[in-house]
Amino acid sequence: MTTEEEDEVIARLSDYLDGAAANRAEIEAKLASDPDWKRLHDEMVESTEAAKQLSGLRKAHAPVTFTEDVTGTIEKRSAGRFFARRTFGDRVPFGALLVVALIGLGIIGYVLWSSSTGSLTTDKPGEPHDKTELVPAP
Amino acid sequence: MTEIERSLLRRLRDRDERAFRELIEQHRDRVFNISYRMLANREEAQDVAQEVFITVFKTIDTFREEAKFSTWLYRVTVNHCKNRIKYLARRHDRDRDELDENTRETNGAIATPARAAQPDRALEGAQIEVLLEAAIKTLDEDQREVVVLRDIEELSIEEICEITGLADGTVKSRLHRARLALRKKLQGKLS
Repeated sequence: MTTEEEDEVIARLSDYLDGAAANRAEIEAKLASDPDWKRLHDEMVESTEAAKQLSGLRKAHAPVTFTEDVTGTIEKRSAGRFFARRTFGDRVPFGALLVVALIGLGIIGYVLWSSSTGSLTTDKPGEPHDKTELVPAP
Repeated sequence: MTEIERSLLRRLRDRDERAFRELIEQHRDRVFNISYRMLANREEAQDVAQEVFITVFKTIDTFREEAKFSTWLYRVTVNHCKNRIKYLARRHDRDRDELDENTRETNGAIATPARAAQPDRALEGAQIEVLLEAAIKTLDEDQREVVVLRDIEELSIEEICEITGLADGTVKSRLHRARLALRKKLQGKLS
């Protein structure tokens, strides 16, 4: 049996042992008649059994500082340019922004209300209204 | 790919630091475990796991959403591990060459390292772990890859095919030969 042929048999036997083979009867007939198939089958059963020990290996955990280490390395290598920076950090203070906006609107409203002209330019008391002559005197 | 994964991906592409942290928190242990089992060295595993995440951050824009994100991440992980195994093997060869050179220069006067004393009461579980780790280390990087992914991480053959880019039959035959080699190494050592 060539390596390619053996690989093909292994693939089919792997499906058979996993219960995923569609043609089980055909494979069983091969196992009964072909010693190469039987040898590979027996080897696979034994090696699969040995491999089951591996699932009992403890899971290794990353160090506690791992996340900080990675982000720190990225920051260092990119000279702090990698992550998008936000003006307000991670959380936008919507409440504070609303208060500032309301105060701003209040100030504008007061200035408009207290102005006799209804514009942002207010007249100072005691000064002539037409300080700037639009039409110069002849 | 789930909607949560898509949303995380969008944030990653926007270079959102919190998204990167979330990603690391979600996958760090698995990436570390794969690296550790493939390299059998904690410091190397830590270094490689870090490099994996840095690579992911750098190349996140190249990730096509055809595959699962975790599949892509594990592919990056095993590629890094295989590169590191090759690098360490080259370094080991170079160090050995240098050692041989020094040995010749000093007429072979090399002290034999003292054998580490076995603890009197080592736990059976820990002993088995040491044996298994040593057996895995004898496999070449291609065999190690399929054994770690299938028998330790318990991924499906389909996922392993996606991660390794190998055909289904190749994964199965490689896995069989790796298990056979492991079995030979462990024969008589494990009950």
